[in-house]
This record gives sequence, structure tokens and C-alpha cells, in this order.
Amino acid sequence: MRMKQLSKIKRFTGYLAILPFLVIVVFYELLPLIRLAIGSLTGKQSHAFGLENFIKIAVTPLYQQSILNSIRISFLSALAGIVIAFLAAHCCGEASSRGKRVFTMILNMTSNFSGVPLAFAFMVLIGNTGILTSLGQRYAIPFLADFNLYSGNGLMITYIYFQIPLATLLLLPSFAGIRPEWREAAEILQARPLDYWARVAIPNLLPGILGTLSVLFANALAAYATAYALVMNNYALLALQITSKFKGDVQIDSATGGALAMVLILLMVFATMTNNYFTKRNLKGRELI
Amino acid sequence: MAYIEFQNVVKRFGDNTVLDHISASINKGELVTLLGPSGCGKSTLLRCLAGLEQVTEGKIFLDGREITNAPASQRCIGMVFQQYSLFPNMSVEQNIAFGLKMQKKSKDEIAKLVKNAMELVELDGKEKEYPGSLSGGQQQRVALARAIVTQPKVLLLDEPLSAIDAKLRKSLQGRIREIHKELGLTTIFVTHDQDEAMVMSDVIQLFYAGHIEQSGTPVSIYTAPATNFAASFIGSYNQVDSEAFQRMTGMETMPDSTVVIRPETITISRDLPAADDCLTLRGRVIDSLPRGNVLRYSVQVEDTVFRVDALFRSFHIFENGEEIYLSIPRHDCLSLSNERGA
Amino acid sequence: MNKKANIFPRVFLVLVGIYLLLPFGMTLIYSLFVEWTDVLPHGFTLRNYADLFSDAEFWACIGRTLVLCAVSVMLTIFILLLAMYVVIIVDRRLAKFMQLVCMIPYALQGVILSIGIISIYSGTGTILSNRMLMLFGAYTILVLPYIYQGIRNSINAIDVNTLLQAAEMLGCGKFRAYVQVVIPNIFSGILISALLAESIVFGDFVLANNIAGNNYQNIQVFLNRRMFRSSGLASAIVVIIFAVVFIITGLVLKLQGKEREEK
Repeated sequence: MRMKQLSKIKRFTGYLAILPFLVIVVFYELLPLIRLAIGSLTGKQSHAFGLENFIKIAVTPLYQQSILNSIRISFLSALAGIVIAFLAAHCCGEASSRGKRVFTMILNMTSNFSGVPLAFAFMVLIGNTGILTSLGQRYAIPFLADFNLYSGNGLMITYIYFQIPLATLLLLPSFAGIRPEWREAAEILQARPLDYWARVAIPNLLPGILGTLSVLFANALAAYATAYALVMNNYALLALQITSKFKGDVQIDSATGGALAMVLILLMVFATMTNNYFTKRNLKGRELI
Repeated sequence: MAYIEFQNVVKRFGDNTVLDHISASINKGELVTLLGPSGCGKSTLLRCLAGLEQVTEGKIFLDGREITNAPASQRCIGMVFQQYSLFPNMSVEQNIAFGLKMQKKSKDEIAKLVKNAMELVELDGKEKEYPGSLSGGQQQRVALARAIVTQPKVLLLDEPLSAIDAKLRKSLQGRIREIHKELGLTTIFVTHDQDEAMVMSDVIQLFYAGHIEQSGTPVSIYTAPATNFAASFIGSYNQVDSEAFQRMTGMETMPDSTVVIRPETITISRDLPAADDCLTLRGRVIDSLPRGNVLRYSVQVEDTVFRVDALFRSFHIFENGEEIYLSIPRHDCLSLSNERGA
Repeated sequence: MNKKANIFPRVFLVLVGIYLLLPFGMTLIYSLFVEWTDVLPHGFTLRNYADLFSDAEFWACIGRTLVLCAVSVMLTIFILLLAMYVVIIVDRRLAKFMQLVCMIPYALQGVILSIGIISIYSGTGTILSNRMLMLFGAYTILVLPYIYQGIRNSINAIDVNTLLQAAEMLGCGKFRAYVQVVIPNIFSGILISALLAESIVFGDFVLANNIAGNNYQNIQVFLNRRMFRSSGLASAIVVIIFAVVFIITGLVLKLQGKEREEK
């Protein structure tokens, strides 16, 4: 009888080790999320519980525009990133091992280049007094001379830039999983290159592509530093709008801010679940925890 | 001209010559094995025939037509790879039907041919399964069905059973041989496993360092190896330096050669055997190992250790240290020149 | 198959490589010259770097950033190692819970985290509204997914059950086995993910700007403030930041290579 009680006590003390983790997680992850959720469902003036804030967001042009802009820029930059990454990952598979190593190193280096430093580097390039802008003005190249970095287009260019390394790094394993035997077998079975790509290569790459697409989408949606550095609050973007409700000279508006945040959270969760769905198929089932 | 003919085929990868002026012919309907250790060029020759590699020099003919520069998709061959060749995104059915789809056959015809192929490899009932849920042996059977269903002129198998476990390998060897017989399909099989080659082939082409050491039926190569390498690779030949052998037995031998003797031709006995047409040696047992239905003795005679295989029958089993007599028929002592081979 | 020397892949990779290196490359060159209004820059100078290194504020920001990196990452590693003890040894059923909780910050990223924390703690008047506390708490959660993933991958790579059983047979208590047997074997994996987390904290702008603002500027906030005032100085800051991240990434790759060799 004593042994059972002893081992029960032992187990209980074992559980204590998870306490510090739980404290931090509750205070800085779970409670903030709950607070945001509650705030989003509490009317700004009326303090009534309901969907008042969400309706307000849906009808206000500024917020509509922010959400649409964010979705548009995120989706298009993700698409552009994936197309370039697809070609780059394919070429990487065909390259020599030295070329592959050098290129992967460049990808790793430049994938860390984002946020404020990246925004500044683009200013140096094509800002109002940027190198390429000045060149364009001197040699009358309207595309370069008139390009406005501090606009939706500028954001798009910058976002595409940081999507490419991330997308390529995520796609490389998918391409590595394409066995050379498949192409050889297809060739012997009289398939033309197009048949091989359409029936064998692309279907096997598709989960990786769709998973990466959703990661890129989420990545751009949550991007704050680059956008803030370039346009501050002069362009309607969801991440910037949300932050302006909590930080700034005006009082904290956790009703509208909370609702906007819930919209962003919903979009992020959707993207993450899509990614999980497509990458789950690649698990090898050898995991213990 | 034979059904398949290689004329002076050379293949170089950079400075490395993998195939060194290979000339060989294969008759229609034969099951030929390309046998040899790793890296000797056998797989490369197969891939040159398939069109997956380009020969550096030489010509290849199939059914009277020169195919040296023809692309792989136009050679009318079927191929089974060592592993991983099934398309993971397609079911068993779809994998097998792939080549027929490329040939633009009708839906009904495809269904019929796929069904026949699956019966032939004994995989009925697994049509809708995907490669990921099949065992290695099942995957190779699907690969085999996929290769033969397009009715190719020749079937190539590149070490198809190397990744399969031993027990399953035997039944698959049998299955491949049966399919070959039933379809009368010219088949070329690459392996490094000499037992496999002996069981499967009509003809063996023994490869070594980029050239063909010897070619012939399994029995002929086994009983009459032409070079030292052949003797060391096939069977478990005793290889004795000719001078040492002459000293031990008094038999005249060619200078600078090796005498090779199969273990099962040597008789071991406690008493001095009758003279007959045999050479007699006196030695001491230093080890014995059971191998299947045979007991393999290691017998020390002067500086040489002989391998002697004795069937397990009701007779005396010799202990380590026992002094015994070895009796070797003269005609079983083959002399091989040392100028070529291992 | 004809293996012709296909140059298209190599050309494409070179083009993409140049495109990716262009922004940083241009910034680097920009930082070393007085002006660049024509095709080529004029006036090589190290003035920008001299000005930067003599700016006390710059060093203060670097220092603050390093403190944030070091403290948050070590804190996260500590609480996670303790928590993983419970998951691996006491109750494996907690694994799913851990995974969910640790991957939420990855899904929501810095924006949500920063405003979430602000919305609940700022203005409460308690110790919890202390900006530093909020900031450290936020960073700990920020790097949680990366450290968790690193520990988890390392655990799955070693045969942890066999190791623990062997330790138990040799008379070792459970917690001691964890500390003296499991942790040393996953050490290199933890180190690699720690370095990765460091570079994330180093590169963070949103948490620092939103929670601490100008009261406790990290290097990114510092850059943002200088950016419009003096582009020469700002370019030097960008180069320094990138150099630090480059060193960290290089260390990570080297350690990963070493780990793969040892396997």
C-alpha cells in the first residue's frame, strides 16, 4: 500500500516541473489571446457582448481596404515567390553539388534579410533618391524613375523579395524526394517529358507546393516591420491597422483592435492548418513525441 | 545477326573506362544474366542497352535494327529497377497501365492487359492500393507487371532482388523464370549474386573490370572456369599455386599458373584410399563448418589449406586435429594461367 | 539520355543569386561611399562606420539587444527542458498538448503577440504592466516554437526510451537520468535551435517597437529611427546587423554539419 502512495507522490512531484512553462504560457500566450477575443466581442461604447465590432469592420471602408490589401499582397507575393522558387528548386536539383551548396548558402543568408534592414536596402535601391531611381532619372527610364516604393506596389516588390528564399528552402526537400528512377521508368514506358511532368513529377510535388504556398501567405500577412518601415500608417494594411489601435497617442481601442486581430488570427490559423494538412502526408511515422 | 548484339561497346565516364570493348550476342528468348562484383560495368551495359546511358564507342543492335543512338522511349524495352521506380502518386493499376496509356491503347484493352499482367505476377486484388502500402516484394512484382504489359522486345532487370529479403528472393526468382518461360520474352538480368545467376540463367556473362571474362551456361562456367577470377567468383574453388601443387602431389603442372579444384570433388578419409586415377595428399583437419547439407572441412596440407565438402551421410565426422587422407581425381584439377584475372 | 552540359539551370541560379544578393550588396557599397547619384559611387570613406562606432546610443542598443537575446532564449530553454521532462518521462499524453501550445506563437507571429500582451497588461498598474517584464515574456513566447521544435527533433533522433531504460537498470533516478543522460545527448540540437532563436530575437522589430517603444530600443528600432535622418549611418547599421546574423547562421550551419558527421 505504501509503495502505491509513494509512487503517486513521486508522480505528482514530477508534474511540478512543467509549472514554470505553464505560468509563462498562460500569462504571455493564452491570457493575451483570450483578452483579445473578449475585447473583440465587447462593444466599444455599449460594452455589450456581441458581433458589433465585426459588423463595424465589415462596413468601414478603411478596414475593408486593409483586409483586402493584406490578402491581395500576401497572396500575390506568395504566388510570385512560389513560381520563382519552383524554377530555382528545380534548377538546384539539376546543378552540381558545389553549385547547390553555394546557392543554398545564399538562400540561408538572404532568408534572414527581412524587416527594417530590408526596407532600408530597398530604399537605397529604388527609394525617392535611390541608386536605381537616380539612374532612371538620368537616363530617362520611366519605370525606374517614377517607381514609388512607398506604395502598395513597393510593398509587393519588397514582399516578393523575402518570399523567394523562404519558398525555395521549403521546396528543396520536395524536389529532393523526386527519384531519378521515376523519370527513367517513365521514359522507358514511352512517356514524353510533358507526360512525365504532368502525371508523375507535379502530382508528387503538389503537397509541398500547396503547403509552402500557405506558409508564404501567412508569412506576408503577419509581416509588420517591413511594412511599417516603408509606409508607416499611410497605407491600409491589416497588421498596421491592428497595431495602431493598441499603440499610439490615442487610447487603446481593444474593441476594434481586438476584432481586427481576430480576423488576422482566423486567416493565419486557416493558412497554418492548410500547411499542416499538406505536410502531414510526408511524415514517416517514426516520431516518439 | 543475333537478336541483341553489342559490337565493341566502350563507355567512359571522364577518365574512367567502365566498359572496355564489349562484344556479346544474345539470342531471342534467352534468359541471360550479367554477373559480376560491384562496379564491374554490368549495370552500365544494361543501361546502355536501355538507352539511359549513351555509349562512348561501339554499336548496339536489337532485332536487326541499330539502336545505338535511339532514345530510350523508342527502343521497345521493358525495365525493372532495383527499387523506388513505382510512381507513388498512382495506384498499382495506374502504374501498370502507364505504359499502355502512353501507347494510346483503348480503355478496354488497357483494362484487359492490366488484369492479365496482375494475374501473371500473382497480385490480384491489389489493384487500388498505392506503392506506399506494399512490401518490397510486392512493389517489385508491380514493377515487373508494368514492364511486361507493354509487350516489349526485351525485358531488362537491374538487380531487382537485391533489396528484397533472402526468403522472398527465392520465390521471386522462380516467378521471374516462370514468366520468362511463359511469355518467351528475351530477358537480361543483372546481379552480383552467383547463386541467383546459377538458378535463373540460360547463359551467364561473367563481368570483371569492364570486360566479359567468360560466357556460357551456368554448369559450364561452374565446372570449367576459364580464368582465376572466374574460379574465385563462381563456387568455392580451392586455388593453389602450381609449383606448390606440383611439390605436394608430384603431378606435372604448367609454370606460372594456378590449379583450381572444387571442394565437392575431394574425398576425405581416415585410411589410405585405393590408387585409382586420383592424387593422394596427407593432411590435418583444422576446422569444420556445417553448410546446409554439407560439412565443409578446412584441411591443412603443408602450407596450403584445402576446403573439402563432404555430404552429411552416416559416416565418420572428423574432429579437429585428426590426420586424414585427401583423394583428388586428376581430371578435376584444372590449370588456369596466371596472366589474366584476379 | 544525352547528358549535354545544360547551362540553363546554372544561368538561372546565378541570376536568382545575384538578385537576392543585390539589395544587401548595394547597401554595403553605399555605406562605404560618400555619394552615389551616378552609375558608380564617389568618394570611398569609412566615415559612416566611424560615426556609428563612436555613437554611444548605438552601443547601448546593441547591448540591450544582446541582453534581450541572451535572457529570453536561456529562459525559454530552461522552462522547456523542465517541461519536456514531464512530457517524455512522466506523462507522454502531454505531447499533443505541448505541440499545440508551442506552435501557436508560430502561427500567430509577432504582431498578434505584441498587441495581445499590450491589451491585457498595459495600464493595469501592477508589476505585470512593467514594460521590461512584458518584453521578456513576449520574447520567451516568440522563440518557443523554435526551441521546442529543436528539442523535439533531437529527442526523436536519439533512442530516448532505450537510454532511459539503460540508466534505470544502472540505478539512476528518473530526473537524474534526464539531466545526465538525455540532455547531454540532445545538447547540440538545443544549441542549434538556440542560435536560430537568437537571430530571430536579434531581428525582431514588432515586439520591441510595440511593447517597449523608445524606452528600451533594440537595434532594429534604432535603425528605424535613424533611417530617414542619415542614410549613410543607416546603411552602416544594416551592414553590421547583417554581419551579426551572418556569423550566427554560419555557426549554425557549421554545427549542423558537425552533427551530421558524428552520426
